[in-house]
Amino acid sequence: MTRLFDRWPVLPTRDRPDTPDDGGADAPAHAHSPSAPPGRHSHHTMRPRRRQRSQRLLANRAVRDAIVSLAGVVGRPVHNQGGAEIGRLVDVVCRWTGDETYPPVTGLVVRVGRRLAFVDASTIRTIEHSQVLLKTARLDLTDFAPRPAEVTLADQVLDHQLVDVDGVQVIRAADLYLAPLFGRYCLVGVDISTQSLLRRLGPARWRHTPTPDRVIDWGAIQPFGETEQGAAPEVRLRTTNQGLERLRPGELADLLEDLMRPERQKLLDSLTPEEAADALEEMDPEELASLLREAEPGRAGQLLGAMEPDEAVDALRDLTSDERAEVMAAMAADQVANLARLLGYPEDEAGGFMTTAFLVAATSETVASISARLADDGGCPDELDAVALVDDEGRLVWDLPLLQLLINPGDTVLGDLVGEAEPVTVDIHARVNEVAERLVDARRMSVVVVEDDRPVGRILADDVLDAFLPERGRIHFPRLLQ
Amino acid sequence: MTVWGSRWFRGFIIYLAAAGPGLIAANAGNDAGGVATYASAGAQFGYRTLFFMLLVTVGYVCIQEMVARLAAHTGKGLAALIREQFSLRLSAFAVLAFAVANVGLVVTEFAGIGTAFELFGVSRYISVPVAAIAIWLLVIVGSYRYAERAFLLLSLAFITYPIAMFFGHPDWKQVAVNTFLPHFIRSKAFLLVAVALIGTTITPYIQLYTAGAVVDRGIGPEEYKYERVDAVAGAIFSDLVSMCIIIATAAVIGGTGALNSAADAAKALAPLAGRWAETLFGIGLLGASALAAAVVPLSTSYAVAEAVGVERSVSKSFRQAPLFLGLFTAQIIIGAGVVLVPGNLFRLIINTQILEGVLTPITLVFILVLANRRSLLGAAANGKLARTVGLITVVAVGGFATFLVSLTVLGWIGISL
Repeated sequence: MTRLFDRWPVLPTRDRPDTPDDGGADAPAHAHSPSAPPGRHSHHTMRPRRRQRSQRLLANRAVRDAIVSLAGVVGRPVHNQGGAEIGRLVDVVCRWTGDETYPPVTGLVVRVGRRLAFVDASTIRTIEHSQVLLKTARLDLTDFAPRPAEVTLADQVLDHQLVDVDGVQVIRAADLYLAPLFGRYCLVGVDISTQSLLRRLGPARWRHTPTPDRVIDWGAIQPFGETEQGAAPEVRLRTTNQGLERLRPGELADLLEDLMRPERQKLLDSLTPEEAADALEEMDPEELASLLREAEPGRAGQLLGAMEPDEAVDALRDLTSDERAEVMAAMAADQVANLARLLGYPEDEAGGFMTTAFLVAATSETVASISARLADDGGCPDELDAVALVDDEGRLVWDLPLLQLLINPGDTVLGDLVGEAEPVTVDIHARVNEVAERLVDARRMSVVVVEDDRPVGRILADDVLDAFLPERGRIHFPRLLQ
Repeated sequence: MTVWGSRWFRGFIIYLAAAGPGLIAANAGNDAGGVATYASAGAQFGYRTLFFMLLVTVGYVCIQEMVARLAAHTGKGLAALIREQFSLRLSAFAVLAFAVANVGLVVTEFAGIGTAFELFGVSRYISVPVAAIAIWLLVIVGSYRYAERAFLLLSLAFITYPIAMFFGHPDWKQVAVNTFLPHFIRSKAFLLVAVALIGTTITPYIQLYTAGAVVDRGIGPEEYKYERVDAVAGAIFSDLVSMCIIIATAAVIGGTGALNSAADAAKALAPLAGRWAETLFGIGLLGASALAAAVVPLSTSYAVAEAVGVERSVSKSFRQAPLFLGLFTAQIIIGAGVVLVPGNLFRLIINTQILEGVLTPITLVFILVLANRRSLLGAAANGKLARTVGLITVVAVGGFATFLVSLTVLGWIGISL
């Protein structure tokens, strides 16, 4: 859990950070040169070592002193060079750009008298546990107005939801830590420990001692702190954590389920439609329905269009007919026609859970032409394992395993590969038990669905597995009663 | 969309068919605490509390509307909103108040279970521990979904109240006069009943539930205009049922003094059910209490997890969530434990509603402040009218609670007014 110090060069610190006049402002300039972040490790093998290392580091009081607790310093006095108090710290402003692992502090919001003033970062000398020192005696106090890509940490990030990309979890920031890095203050870590919550609840003097017990390096965080109106989509995209791309669809689905609506929509926006669709396919159907409901119809239609037809139909079934019509109005006509046809089949029959993204070929085609079609068409799922072969009248004659395409020369006519036995099929009205039995009997990973001897879809073994697995034990308090 | 075409009405039909209880929030009047309190109010003051209920309804509608609006526009549950919008100390205070109120409710529900079984001749020292273990197991094993259907079916017995009301031939002129003609009674007994009526109607739990349900259904700002109809209609419907309970009881045993037993409360159903009145009342009480005895502690755990920021532990697996599971278990133990202390169970139910009434204003203040915040809701923040009505509601509810608490504290040191 304590990941803060892995990627972080040893901190420049002073022994007595509490004394204002020992050149604190110079300290950041001594910061070590950036060290390349180490590659990703497996959490399991790295954890003991990590813990040891961070414990050793945290035992070092100097390190503890160098990081400043945001929750502790907010509300503390801001002093000018002469030592006079000019006001109280209200908030710390950071800039998200995505270029830097650790967002730099761009300024402070200070309450001077009755107004909120913005103090630029260039005038900060040090931010200490219990006070802020400025470099100058004179100050141009400008009213605070957030600029694009800027967030106020105490107001918009502290106590809000964040995604820990390395740990694949949704967290709520109990504290944020600032530290001088390369000559300026940066946001370096987020604390999620209950201890920090208790520290903030306790007496004021507890508050400024950092308790970095469960700290996550900011480099592993996907933040959401953008203001609703101010953020252009491109700004949001630039703040996407690279680590998100490495998550599996199932992990993304978990994150989407745990996030609240605004954060969830922002996370979705930062994914490509394909990535998003893959993740949505893994979501709990009821969660998915509510997600589609809350998204704009256009966006929902786009996401559904990118999903596999059988999963999209599942999601549509959970919407009311009005909502369904609204979403489908935003989709391409051929997709709508396909989904509407699938919706017509009862949910518990083969037609209701088959996928229509499958491959049909005439017996007259060759191995090479099928390979070419497969190469062109991205619409087929990776799990596809066979080609349905049909005769001139469209009737199914054979279910050809894809392996045959690999081992036969390109000019082989598919008709020559048709086997002796009857192809393994299920009827469009087959129940899930029947489909499972057929799959087990035939020892196949998928089975063709036929209507009047014509192939209309395919059921993959994993769709049948879903039907047999018990529902996940997600406790959803309001939904307990539905 | 009219009321009759709304999801609320469809929900009502479904409710009648006992297929799905989407109306649980609106149906708050039918929980053990509600039925006991309304019945007792009817028995003690006849129709005299109806005007007060009308005022409570106005406040209830206003609060429910605000909660639904907050949830639809922010997409967040109440506990999460409070954590994000208030300082950590205030959030902790809000969550603590909510948790205490809910533990009170859990006590109510177990008292309801005990009372119901006593009507059937089973001692509470057997029924309550067995019920506590059974409910704990049902939720932990995950088969609660099936049991809740049965409980719901049982709780439908209370839907007979409006019918019993007509069979009891109340004095309709008196009903109308007492509902619409402003009046109060200057007595401590009335104050106690008033606070209990507030507490059982505007329960913090219902607000949390409403927000959670709105977020969960994915209702956003665009759909809010329909949700508003639902929220308002649901609140009005719930209070209509409550007033039916008061009228039905008042018609049969009005003016006989505060109720002390479920058997007396059941007399209100006698005009309809005759000698089966007690059985009918017992069945309804058992169903409603058992239903809420599982859901209320879950809502506490949910709110605390949301506020602490460990929602993820809730979403993974119930058994892997120590905070969630620990809180749930503790509430069941406390709830059942308090009920096992010798004393009048029926009075315990009403007294816990007074506790709710004292704690309700705390949650209401948070809701009002949130709904007033332009930085949070933008144009959907409370306008002048909603601000004023909300403020009056909160001040009135808070005033009653404060007045009651001060009277009680003064009573301890020997001063009585």
